[in-house]
Amino acid sequence: MSNDICFLAEFADGVASRSAMELAAGARELAAQSGGATVALAYGPGAAAGAAGLGAAGASRAVVLSDTNVPAVTLAVAAAAAVRGAHTLLAPATPNGRDLAGALVGLLGVPAFGPVRAARIEGGRLLTEQATLQGTVITVSQPADGAPQPSVVLVLSGTFTPLEGGTGKAVVSQAGGVDAGPLGQARIAESHPAEAAVANLEEASMIVAGGRGVGSADGFAPLHELAAVLGGAVGASRAAADAGWVPYQLQIGQTGKVVKPALYVACGISGAIQHRVGMQTAQNVVAINKDPDAPIGEFADLFVVGDLFAIVPRLTAEIRRRAGG
Amino acid sequence: MKIIVCIKQVPATTAEKRYRADLRLDRAASEAVINPLDEYAIEQALRLQESGAVESVGYLSMGPEQAGEALRRALAMGGDEAYLVTDAALAGSDAWATARVLAAALDRLAPDVALMGMASDDARGSLVPAAVAAMRGVPLLSYGSELQLHGTTARVRRLTAAGFDMLEAPLPVVASVTDQVGEPRYASLKGIMAAKRKPMETWSLADLGLAPADLHGAALTRVVEIRKPEAKPPTERIENVGPDEAVTRIADWLAARKLI
Amino acid sequence: MTYRLTADHLELRAMVRELAEEQITPRAAAIDASAEFPWDLKELLARQDLLGTSFETRYGGTELDNIAQCILVEEIARADATTSLIPIVQKLGSLPLSVAGSEEQKQRYFPRLASGEWLAAFALTEAGAGSDVAQLRTRARRDGDAYLLTGSKRFITHGSIANLLTVFALTDTDAGGRKGMSAFIVETDTPGFSAPRLEHKMGIRGSPTAELHFDEVRVPAANRLGEEGDGFRIAMATLDQSRLSVAAQAIGIAQGALDFAVGYAAQREQFGERVVDMQGIQFMLADMASQTEAARQLTYAAAAVVDAGDADLAYWTSCAKLIAGDTAMRVTTDAVQVLGGYGYVTDYPVERMMRDAKITQLYEGTQQIQRMIVARQLLQRSGVPVRRSR
Repeated sequence: MSNDICFLAEFADGVASRSAMELAAGARELAAQSGGATVALAYGPGAAAGAAGLGAAGASRAVVLSDTNVPAVTLAVAAAAAVRGAHTLLAPATPNGRDLAGALVGLLGVPAFGPVRAARIEGGRLLTEQATLQGTVITVSQPADGAPQPSVVLVLSGTFTPLEGGTGKAVVSQAGGVDAGPLGQARIAESHPAEAAVANLEEASMIVAGGRGVGSADGFAPLHELAAVLGGAVGASRAAADAGWVPYQLQIGQTGKVVKPALYVACGISGAIQHRVGMQTAQNVVAINKDPDAPIGEFADLFVVGDLFAIVPRLTAEIRRRAGG
Repeated sequence: MKIIVCIKQVPATTAEKRYRADLRLDRAASEAVINPLDEYAIEQALRLQESGAVESVGYLSMGPEQAGEALRRALAMGGDEAYLVTDAALAGSDAWATARVLAAALDRLAPDVALMGMASDDARGSLVPAAVAAMRGVPLLSYGSELQLHGTTARVRRLTAAGFDMLEAPLPVVASVTDQVGEPRYASLKGIMAAKRKPMETWSLADLGLAPADLHGAALTRVVEIRKPEAKPPTERIENVGPDEAVTRIADWLAARKLI
Repeated sequence: MTYRLTADHLELRAMVRELAEEQITPRAAAIDASAEFPWDLKELLARQDLLGTSFETRYGGTELDNIAQCILVEEIARADATTSLIPIVQKLGSLPLSVAGSEEQKQRYFPRLASGEWLAAFALTEAGAGSDVAQLRTRARRDGDAYLLTGSKRFITHGSIANLLTVFALTDTDAGGRKGMSAFIVETDTPGFSAPRLEHKMGIRGSPTAELHFDEVRVPAANRLGEEGDGFRIAMATLDQSRLSVAAQAIGIAQGALDFAVGYAAQREQFGERVVDMQGIQFMLADMASQTEAARQLTYAAAAVVDAGDADLAYWTSCAKLIAGDTAMRVTTDAVQVLGGYGYVTDYPVERMMRDAKITQLYEGTQQIQRMIVARQLLQRSGVPVRRSR
């Protein structure tokens, strides 16, 4: 039994994901509270080479679970060996993170939390905060008395801020060659890349999203430009995705992605509850809509009544101008 | 070939929700529906049955007695039988306890595929499919936009940021599907009438060979506080101005918050 | 007459309401604007087994009681009056067979009607024979083992899209309308039948209301319902039951208008307060609600009377249709008033509901005919000898 704080560090194309950087910072914060070390569990293409670099992000040790593109859940047995007895494991609230975290809960019989918007350790005990019931309630939870360790915590993106200007290298080790068991039997039989990769919305800190008011696939062009000048990604409501104006991967909401960016610009989105649950924890919500009575006006931070096709291009130009371009 | 679809009864998205004094959700009080994402799992199972790939479709749910309504609604959409696990000791179950109970029930039912929706509407944890797979010692095929069965192998099509992958594993598996499988059907009137006659069994913990002690009081986690979210400051509005003026104000607002 | 709503009734209401809100309400404005029959919604209702509720299970129907059938119509009408006519007319066109058809005739046609594969319609009214049914002129001339139908019908709901019509024609021109009328089943792909014209209407615009021409249409004698001369009795027995559906439709329209008016008034602010908090508006809404509920309760009681097969069911169904139709007109007019200027424009549904409501005071027996029926029944009950005025 240790006070170590572990976290999942997903790699793609040799680069640590944004969630890995955020969780590294979070683990460092919690480790300072628990008095333990921070341990990264690295996986995905390029994890072996990149694991040491996690030291600058906050990890003191890194265990490489795998260096290839496999379904994360197949690494659960190796991960279980690596985290056994640790205080807490932080996992990203992404599909891979949830699968691996869920499998660990099943293998180790440990408490699970999340997706949380805050976590800390007080008096040696984990405390988490989660928005439940479509954000109408905040639930604060902790492990039950006598519950085994580690606690597995799903963390929403944007909960922790990656460290800047950190130094140091993590001590890297390979996960022991354990038999992956039945969970290891899932494999990627075929991989079909799309022509253009779609940005991972769950990791974006700026999102420009379009809804029914955008009207067409072409209508999304000004949204892409605004997203580009903000350095962010484009998302959509279900109406726009169902209409085929954007690929399904861009859909945010009850049946799509849940995002927690620093800025969410909603264009032509009415703000029905099914969309709201996907983005309501965004730190700043700006909504642009022709309808002054649109429900999104109730919970946006800034509500602009106007024509998005007049406002969005001008906003893009103004932001560019202020940036000195 | 047999599929068991695990469904959960949850408060309707638009219903008023209440917690009780002991900080548990008052599930009886709110209007309850089948977890919307489970409806896609039901639809996927029924399509496989209609195509002849699957002989039998059953439903499994863990919850209070009232959860039997959700199972009847599922049977009204199609399928053959339903199983409800209900026990006073299960009140307040968390993800781990839920997975433990579902795993025990699924081991008894031994389906080729244990199928679930990708998340539940209330807690949105989506840990249960993976936890159940781990506990049962079977592979997990998750986040499928389509489930296919080929002989003794199951495959799912999973959309990724960069296209899609085909994942496969030997049966039996636990699988979860997204809303991309297609629109769930409405229950027809004859379906509703037929559902009343389809068999539904009710199991307690003892029927599964589990004792309350095995479930650590139904949760390894404990809720210590419920509170309302912080009051948001009222929405600032920009209206009745031309686009140039509006854009200047928006940019000022973003700059004040260091977003640009 | 007392009745009780069962859990099945409530479950049916919930099921139809969900279907209506998700699939029918979003289409209502477009159906009205285009005046096109919503074939997709007809397919949806057929798939959900909602067009077979008045047919016995042995023909593939679901044999629901009349209260359940009213609930079905009410919930669809709440979303869209035009769409509610699909189950209403399916029943209306089939009732003559239910009332007077032989088992062989039912076996021949009911399965396709119950499944919704075929649509039925009721062809009684003519240009010169509206309220005064006895002025019928369409003739059915015997020719061997068939009849040749010649004449025209007018204002026939779904007459242009039905596969099967129940047509009323004179087999004995000397005996006059009441005694010389017979009823026939006519398949609309028979040569000599045409539907050359549709009416342009104030409301229920998506429902085709057709003029029908019969030019020596050959109808086998096996398609005659009952005996020659039974036609008037069959028509009246049909309308005694079918007008219950119109009452249900009227209630549904009223409820839809009321619900919309409440929702609108709750978010509209004038003079610094919500419109719904103004007592004057609350009084209007209260009147609308209580009158709709009264009409509903009367209609369900009448449905229970029909289910029981009581001898005085005509009294009950006429009372229900009379009250419900007038209520629908009043409630929808008030709903427009609650919305003010916005109630008059097509951006909001209440002006359509008001235009749709009017028909419930006109078809399947005008309100004046209903009053004649109620008055006659009232005098009979009171032991007053009836003197026919004309």
